[in-house]
Amino acid sequence: MTAIRSRAGIVAAIVRKDFTAFSRNWFFLVISIIGLVFFALTFWLMPNTVDETVTVGVSGPGIGEALTSSGESQGIDLKLYPSQDALTTAVENGSDGVAVGLAFPPDFLQTMAAGQQTTVDVLVTAGVPVELRDAMDSIVREIAYAASGETLPVIQLAQNEYVLGVDRSGDQVSLREKMRPLLAFMVLVIEMMSLAALVAAEIQQRTVTAIVTTPARVADFLTAKVIVGTLLAFVQAVILLVAIRSLGANAPLMLTILLLGALMVTAFALIAGSYGRDFITVVFWSILFLVPLIIPGFAVLFPGSASSWVKVIPSYGLINAIVGATSYGEGWSDVLPDLAMVAGWTVVAYVVGLSILRRKVEAL
Amino acid sequence: MNLVRTWRIMQKELRMGPRSPIFLYAVLLPIVLTFIINGVFGSLFEPTPRLGIVDEGDSAIVAEAKQLDGIHVTEPPDATTLRKMVESNDLDAGLVLQPGFDGAVRNGQMPVLQFYVGGESLASNRIILSVAAVDMVRQVAGEPAPVTVDVVTIGDPEALPIASRLLPMLMIYAVFVAGAFVPASSVVEEKEKGTISALLVSPATVYEFLAAKVGVGVVLATLTGVVTLALNNALGGHAVALVLVLLTASVMMAEIGVMLGSWAKDLNTLFATVKGGAILIFYPVIFYIWPSLPQWIPKLSPTYYFLQPIFEIGIRDASLGDVWGEVVVALATVVVLVPFVLIMARRLQRKVAVGV
Repeated sequence: MTAIRSRAGIVAAIVRKDFTAFSRNWFFLVISIIGLVFFALTFWLMPNTVDETVTVGVSGPGIGEALTSSGESQGIDLKLYPSQDALTTAVENGSDGVAVGLAFPPDFLQTMAAGQQTTVDVLVTAGVPVELRDAMDSIVREIAYAASGETLPVIQLAQNEYVLGVDRSGDQVSLREKMRPLLAFMVLVIEMMSLAALVAAEIQQRTVTAIVTTPARVADFLTAKVIVGTLLAFVQAVILLVAIRSLGANAPLMLTILLLGALMVTAFALIAGSYGRDFITVVFWSILFLVPLIIPGFAVLFPGSASSWVKVIPSYGLINAIVGATSYGEGWSDVLPDLAMVAGWTVVAYVVGLSILRRKVEAL
Repeated sequence: MNLVRTWRIMQKELRMGPRSPIFLYAVLLPIVLTFIINGVFGSLFEPTPRLGIVDEGDSAIVAEAKQLDGIHVTEPPDATTLRKMVESNDLDAGLVLQPGFDGAVRNGQMPVLQFYVGGESLASNRIILSVAAVDMVRQVAGEPAPVTVDVVTIGDPEALPIASRLLPMLMIYAVFVAGAFVPASSVVEEKEKGTISALLVSPATVYEFLAAKVGVGVVLATLTGVVTLALNNALGGHAVALVLVLLTASVMMAEIGVMLGSWAKDLNTLFATVKGGAILIFYPVIFYIWPSLPQWIPKLSPTYYFLQPIFEIGIRDASLGDVWGEVVVALATVVVLVPFVLIMARRLQRKVAVGV
């Protein structure tokens, strides 16, 4: 018992020394603080909603009702205007957010009912994407078909049949939400660089040799490094998640995810630190790990599922778990496979990292 | 001038550079600005609507769909794969055309239109893709439309979305900070720390010293410029032309940078000069954001002559031939600046020699 207490005391002493060394490294200290502030600011600057509707101005009697009843109005926010001139002005100035204008002639419905041809103007500004222009063109034709009594030559599926997956229309995940895992992971990897620099300095300055000539063993040194790295990364990630109000309803789950993430990046930091000879090589090795590790964070920003090669990246499970817990309200059982993947990769990284570091230390 | 010595100084600069926060700032700033601008104004992470089509027969709709502008069309191998892709948001919508679909439509047999949308697809994409699908079916049916639709462009026909109009601002930040500010601050730091004196007692000349700084600025500015263009989907179909213009811009900025660095006695002076004088470099970007302003004013700044080609090629899909006039002026500016760089180099050498 006394032996364990004395080992714990030794490890605690090394941890204290490391925190002092970290606070004296102005570069990583400043980068850590600026990083936290910057990531929090970035989060709050990102849009919180997804604008998934197109605002369309319409002029012409009875057209608004025809559009609504034809079922072509999903995803369209209709604004009615009394005349084509008023509509043209609205489109030109972008007032009421009108992106496109449909200017129907006053006798449009009667002309269609009589089976005669007429012309409808689709008013756009130069910045309107081509697919939206084409869509408006088609919508006008569909209104004309409907007004002239011509039905679709096909049977359409009912809404519950044709929407696949959970219908998130009107409840899309915003860019701000999507940024959350990326920002949390960025904080973790920045701390990876800090710890790698600490480890590299210990090896290059041979302070580790001094440490192991005291009652401290190599195992104490390694344990202390794991504790320091994990604490540095974990505490800052928690601070960020609190600052961006992202601990959510299931805080214990989020804290567990972050703790696992902190443990994982610490393992990679041990590898980077073992190979780092100076500042530049530490940055080089850290970036070598950082670039692939960050890919799943970016993959989340794009729609669709990640490619299979992205799914084998060690950080994929971590990012997926954060997305699940924060954006989709997933619980322990849902994210368990992701956590298991992170834990597996963490064990592998520790086996590699600790053995490399141990060899380095013992070779000094 | 010895190129080997210049290359060695440049290598040292590239090795030591990342230690400087300014270096880091130069690399990260355009990326961060792109994220913020596109996050707020644009659609960086919202690609064009994605439609999948599985043709189980021999429908003319597939060829029709491939002609659609602004819609990304893919052909999954079978209906099951298509539905999976739609469900997992790898496609916004999917269309399954059963055997004999076209014939059934033409014969008035009213076949079922197996059109699926993903739950996570945007409502705006759903409407675009569903009306596109219906329109293609109408064309197969061969029914003449009872209406003629005229698409009328109103307002400025050259108008572009705000995110596109902000591209020159991102580009000027990318090339100025990396191309001019990094070499300038590096020269000043060498003067402040006295390392330039040590270097100049070696066989290296002040010209080689400044050429190395220009080299670093050009490499850094070109790389950050290319990354910025790529992030803004502006690398387009004329990537080589854009890189050539970027190289010209980077050399111009690096020349300005080494002149500033040679002139400024310390970092405070350099920062103050940049804060006060950068307006002359930056002001053309205002005229892209508000195109109704008089367009002759930006032509007074040398930066206009690389910003305009970058804007035209990257955003308006112009070719190098369309903007050759501006590129020639930019290249001429680069050449005209050379004697001034040499004058500043001689001045720097004199100052270092007398220890000022």
